[in-house]
Amino acid sequence: MAELTNVILTASKWILPALAVWLLLRCVRSMLQENCEPELWAWLEFQDGSKAPLKHWECIIGRFSGCDVVLPHASVDRTHAALIRSDTGNWRLYDLGTDGGTAVGARRDTGSGLDVHDGSVLFFSDVGAVFRPLDNKQLLENSSRRAMPGQYISQGMTLLLLTIFQTLLTLQFVSGQARTHAANIALGFAALCLLQWSFYLLMRAMDRRGFEIETLAFFLCTLGLAVTATAAPEEIGKHLLLLAAGIVLFMFLGWWLRDLRRTKIMRWPIGLAALGFLALNLVAGTTTNGATNWLSIGGFSLQPSEFVKIGYIYVGAASLDRLYRSRNLLLFIAFSAVCVGALALMGDFGTALIFFATFLVISFMRSGSFATVFLAVAGAALVGFLVLTVKPYIAQRFATWGNIWADPYGAGWQQTRALSAAAGGGLLGVGAGRGWLHTIFAADTDMVFCLLSEELGLIIALCAVLALAGLSLFSVRTAAGGRSVYYVIAACAASAMMLVQLALNVFGSTDILPFTGVTFPFVSRGGSSLISCWALLAFLKAADTRQNASFSVKLATRRRGNGAADANSEVILAEEVEET
Amino acid sequence: MKKIKRRAYSALLVAICLIAGMGVYIYRFATQGESWANFSANEAVWSNGKIITGTLTDRNGILLSGNENGKRSYAEDDAVRIACLHAVGDPGGNIGTGALRCFPDALSGYSALTGLKSGGGELALSIDAKLCAVAYDALAGHSGAVLLSDYTTGEILCMVSSPSYDVNLGFPADNPAYDGVYLNRTLSAAYTPGSVFKLVTLAAALETIGDLKSRSFVCEGSVLVDGNQINCTGVHGAQTIEQALAHSCNCAFAQLSLELGGDTLAAYAERYGFTAPLSLSGIATAAGKFEAAAPGSAALAWSGIGQSTDLVCPYALLRYVSAVAGGGELTQPSILAHPDRSTEQLINAATAADIKAMMNYAVAYSYGAQNFPGLKLCAKSGTAEVGDGTSHAWFTGFLDDPAHPYAFVVVMENAGGGLRNAGAAANTVLQAAVGN
Repeated sequence: MAELTNVILTASKWILPALAVWLLLRCVRSMLQENCEPELWAWLEFQDGSKAPLKHWECIIGRFSGCDVVLPHASVDRTHAALIRSDTGNWRLYDLGTDGGTAVGARRDTGSGLDVHDGSVLFFSDVGAVFRPLDNKQLLENSSRRAMPGQYISQGMTLLLLTIFQTLLTLQFVSGQARTHAANIALGFAALCLLQWSFYLLMRAMDRRGFEIETLAFFLCTLGLAVTATAAPEEIGKHLLLLAAGIVLFMFLGWWLRDLRRTKIMRWPIGLAALGFLALNLVAGTTTNGATNWLSIGGFSLQPSEFVKIGYIYVGAASLDRLYRSRNLLLFIAFSAVCVGALALMGDFGTALIFFATFLVISFMRSGSFATVFLAVAGAALVGFLVLTVKPYIAQRFATWGNIWADPYGAGWQQTRALSAAAGGGLLGVGAGRGWLHTIFAADTDMVFCLLSEELGLIIALCAVLALAGLSLFSVRTAAGGRSVYYVIAACAASAMMLVQLALNVFGSTDILPFTGVTFPFVSRGGSSLISCWALLAFLKAADTRQNASFSVKLATRRRGNGAADANSEVILAEEVEET
Repeated sequence: MKKIKRRAYSALLVAICLIAGMGVYIYRFATQGESWANFSANEAVWSNGKIITGTLTDRNGILLSGNENGKRSYAEDDAVRIACLHAVGDPGGNIGTGALRCFPDALSGYSALTGLKSGGGELALSIDAKLCAVAYDALAGHSGAVLLSDYTTGEILCMVSSPSYDVNLGFPADNPAYDGVYLNRTLSAAYTPGSVFKLVTLAAALETIGDLKSRSFVCEGSVLVDGNQINCTGVHGAQTIEQALAHSCNCAFAQLSLELGGDTLAAYAERYGFTAPLSLSGIATAAGKFEAAAPGSAALAWSGIGQSTDLVCPYALLRYVSAVAGGGELTQPSILAHPDRSTEQLINAATAADIKAMMNYAVAYSYGAQNFPGLKLCAKSGTAEVGDGTSHAWFTGFLDDPAHPYAFVVVMENAGGGLRNAGAAANTVLQAAVGN
């Protein structure tokens, strides 16, 4: 028996990292390397017979090379006009304050936009073009030419790899020393497995084939479950419930984001709700370790700031029509200042920093202005300096930064132990459930990178980091094909937010940055954080316009698919039936 | 949209910073990982400041200390447990020279690939556990120290300090017989050397006094220096330097000391490593002492014959005789098996050759080869008066035998004559070492 245990442990120590690397490579390759042809929505036909495709719902037309349709005529402004499609398939043309003017037929736009229909003649100053949207047949033709995810790298196969990973991890946990929680742990992993396959099959039933984002998230959640199994095995059931709640919220938000119009309408209510949540936290919050960032409601405690993150991105992203009005950006800056200020008041320095970094990404994407970003950084540096002088415990953390080994029994207590345990794990780890770091305070949250590194090895811990970095690369890559600027900004901001949080967590625990005590997305133990991370993923899904990739993106046309759900649909229907 | 696509790359800045930071971490992990892992708060290795992992064996694979059910275990044989106590260390971590305290990095078994080895690392000491047990017996209950090394490889085969105790049984706290039980007398103590120090005075004389070998030293049983009488062990009459060493003639060496002067003697004592702390595989040893006395003083005369305020650490003497045996070249001693050989020219080669010949002569002429049957022995005895009427017995030297290249030091506290006590113990240990 002991021999068998040894064989399992030794073999799985080598196989687990290999599986993790393989799984990561498959997901990243699938997300980044597979063909990603743009969508096609309409054509502009010019007098000289040339045609320009409109590949997005929001297109800029002008002389500048960064425009979606470039018109190299002296009379055309650098950014001359915007052509925007609504969810319902109606197009409108907006002039962007030009001298030459923009017109549809004989009607000149005064800033509020003009409806555009099939055959409409558009004038950009004195350049004319005929507008030709694609009809359903053409849309279908176009979409059938586009590659679908999973065509080259099977998504089910990747998920199978993850299942093998989970099985081996479970074996590692339950093998060896008699563990009182062995059954609990095995059931927990089985439930996680069931959850991910159910989700996958549901997506396939909806004829959605892009599953890389979810696979990476489930991979991270597997590690998160391993952390829970090590540090608090009695909480596995609760952890899984919260995970399920996160997935439900992910699906709801993903579905909600399908419709840009309703998404935009809800920005104000959600912004107000976020502010209200923060205010409630400030008034009624409970203080833990210097930060007043907990709220207890009817026996449940949650971290409002985690949910405000979702709202912040929801409110911060903007569609093209808002991008050209500076009033909107100023409002957003004010909103950001209130959020960051409230977090600073709570003493949640780490989360304030995450919001600020996300603010930089959003404001740069909205304005394209480095000046705005520099101003913001300068302002924040000043505020940061004030915070350092006012909040002694934050100053203490800065003083400890880089000096943890000078005081391993005082200020450097947690981090020296975290590093010591992480190094003790080497590249392959000491084995699931066989470490000691979990006995240290906050090992399963703030120090979780080192906990992973100790038990499962540096390779798997690095895979966890790279999985999130891969999501970020993906969000940037999808920007080329986004339907609306809103989705692109939201996806980039959400991934940047998770990445900043990840960096603060990993580098804080390893003494590369000052210790801020934030969580590792998906992996750290903690319900609020887990749920909010899944919700943030919805923003990434909403920007994934690869053919049939995302449940959060409406199909341009519904095809007669091979999926069971479509078996009976004889008629080819445009999914965007008129809603008004 | 194109514009936004370009701006989206700004979000990649975060990813770039993250990757750069991970690079820093991986670099630190690779370069500092071992010291992180071995940090004394790592519960996989340490418990209450004591190392719990790792296996310690002697040179032949005999288990000296292991790990059973998360607790430290010790050698099976009680004689080995007692004899190797100071090389291994005690459960309380009181013995500073113990391998358990001195080599935690090796015992933790860290490697960057697999991290800390489950159960810890394996460390083989250079000592021969059975030989140590013989040596402990040979001390016959006296406090003292035995060191024996292979002077060609530097490996210490025997390191025994007495008194000792059985770690599985402990010892009664109020029993004076166990005073200083945690002290490793081979490395951490310094004794009045007595006549064994004449080997150092001899080296200084060989290199300083040109006609030394042609001189005749007349001994009348005692000599008066600055109004103080220095007694000899006998009336030796006229003798060569060779005979004077064999007789261990105080008169001859008092005269040499006065002639050489305190500064010259002090310089030699320092050069040969008798005055400063040394290092054995990283373990710091006790410093000895030599004070340069005023010219013409009795203190000067006494200091050259190993009395006065002289103090010598047994380990320093082992190095010295090892160098003599090696033709002046010292192979650095090591307490770890299979050490990387490193050498240093401690003594001038010609001087070493002369000393070696005279130590060989002393055995034949004075100590009696029949007392050391079968051994090609070169040696020097010492009977160091410690002021309370008793003497420490010393015997040091080496075998001039390529098949058994052993250097040794034996010191027995308050045991009396050097040859009779320490010499006999040395013979017992040497016979065991050569396999007789």
